[in-house]
Amino acid sequence: MLEIKNVSKQYKKGAIDALKDISFTVKKGEFVALLGQNGAGKSTLINILAGNVKKSKGTVKIGGIDLDKNELDTKKKVGVVHQEISFDYVFSVDEVLRNQSGYFGLKDNNGYINELLETLSLTDKKNDSSRSLSGGMKRRLLIAKALVHRPDLLILDEPTAGVDIGLRHQLYDFLNELHKKGTTIILTTHYLEEAEKLCDRVIVIDQGKIVVDENKKVLMKNLGAETLLEFDFSKDIEIKDIAFLADFNPRFEGKRRLQLKVLQNEIGVVFQKMADADLSFSGFNLEPKKLENIYLQIVNGKAA
Amino acid sequence: MIRTLFYNPTGFFTLLNREISRFMKVYIQTLMAPLLSNLLFLGVFGGMLKTREVGIEGIGYLQFLVPGLAAMGAIFAAFQNPSFSIIAQKYQDTLRDINSYPLTTFEKVLAFVLGGTFRGFLIGTLTYIATIWFVGYRIENPTVFFIMLALISFIFSSLGVIAGLFLENFERMNFILAIILTPMAYFGGVFFEISKLPDFLSGAGYLNPLFPMINLLRYGYLGVYEGNLLIQLIFVPFVAVAAFGTAYYFFNKGVGLKD
Repeated sequence: MLEIKNVSKQYKKGAIDALKDISFTVKKGEFVALLGQNGAGKSTLINILAGNVKKSKGTVKIGGIDLDKNELDTKKKVGVVHQEISFDYVFSVDEVLRNQSGYFGLKDNNGYINELLETLSLTDKKNDSSRSLSGGMKRRLLIAKALVHRPDLLILDEPTAGVDIGLRHQLYDFLNELHKKGTTIILTTHYLEEAEKLCDRVIVIDQGKIVVDENKKVLMKNLGAETLLEFDFSKDIEIKDIAFLADFNPRFEGKRRLQLKVLQNEIGVVFQKMADADLSFSGFNLEPKKLENIYLQIVNGKAA
Repeated sequence: MIRTLFYNPTGFFTLLNREISRFMKVYIQTLMAPLLSNLLFLGVFGGMLKTREVGIEGIGYLQFLVPGLAAMGAIFAAFQNPSFSIIAQKYQDTLRDINSYPLTTFEKVLAFVLGGTFRGFLIGTLTYIATIWFVGYRIENPTVFFIMLALISFIFSSLGVIAGLFLENFERMNFILAIILTPMAYFGGVFFEISKLPDFLSGAGYLNPLFPMINLLRYGYLGVYEGNLLIQLIFVPFVAVAAFGTAYYFFNKGVGLKD
């Protein structure tokens, strides 16, 4: 669906490259999270795909069509939901979507527009001015706008920034449905739980380079094995009492709580050692590694 | 070649329709206000100076004023339509959307320019219609009059596109209207004949690019003209092509549109 090969972008001569020779492919039907800190190069990449920025080097193919050779045909295949909420405010919700259909060469698209409005709970607002919508409704209209020409590739640039938790989960359900129907989706987000919940592959960009490109489950398995294990004790304990746990980076929180960092396959060993030492505890908590922690590990340069 | 120019006719007409419906939705401000302003000019100047001799037998000052006002209305409206639209889209952060539409640069520029041309033409025509009550409906050469009205609107709409791409805010657009276009229109023969100006101003007036446009429109309306008609008939279409070509060049370069 998307093939990016050796793409670089330099905004000005002599300036640092915003993208440095990046390459990756996205298969049809994949749901990819594009992660990275502000200024990492995500937006530059999205803007290249959206036609807002000209790449300096490399090739981009969308649906097998080369962007340089047939840019107009590639545009029909892409829908972009930008981070900022922006419309032609003089137009109603329906007019915004009908105009958008027209720009993509669709004369009679009312059936699909109504379907989208229904799915995104905007039917009641069809004839209202887009200006009068609430923030959440505007966000939904942005998504409808990007989907109105049935793009093969949907790019979402932080679609839930500033969106309340209820609406966020509605959007997750909607995106999951779209994904199930076969739409290829690229999502950039700062909410790592979003990527964890929705995507099946994670690409991390840092300083214009791809530092991780991995299946989400594999990534979490490889990097997420370290788990935080927390024990509560009914009496005070001291370091000498847990000397046998020295290999697991013990850390005290007060005198009755102990935290250990253990690999997934070592959890059983810890319990066994505590039983052998006759060290009883009153409670324990196990916090598996989240994508967020893994991401921080990656961007802080600690990834293996 | 055709595909390079016209790739997506539906998209082109949608964009053109948006440019027209955008100003039609606020017709009080975009159509009625300039029309009223033109009628005020006609009432004040025409009323005060209706006995003024314009040096053409059988033609009163009110009749002389009509094509000038129609031209001025068309110039301002045609210029404002695309420039306002583009600058407003910069404010709304929707201008970049245009980059993602499967439309050729030619289609995009033509849609913006024709949107403005239509508004300019409409203002010019409405000005003429509104003045029928004062001076009658007679137009000496209707074809020349309406073609010139369309060409003037086309030229200033193209210039409006260029202004919209370069300018970052409405204040700068108003600056251009107030400091450049208004004096040029006033000294281009809207209210008086260039030949009646003092020598040094008259010479400058003939060099004013708005003069042949207003003069030819007046020729269409009254059948009279100043200066060399043939040169002016060549000059105006040439400017129209050049203005559109320049708008196309900057749009294609991505000025104001792309990083």
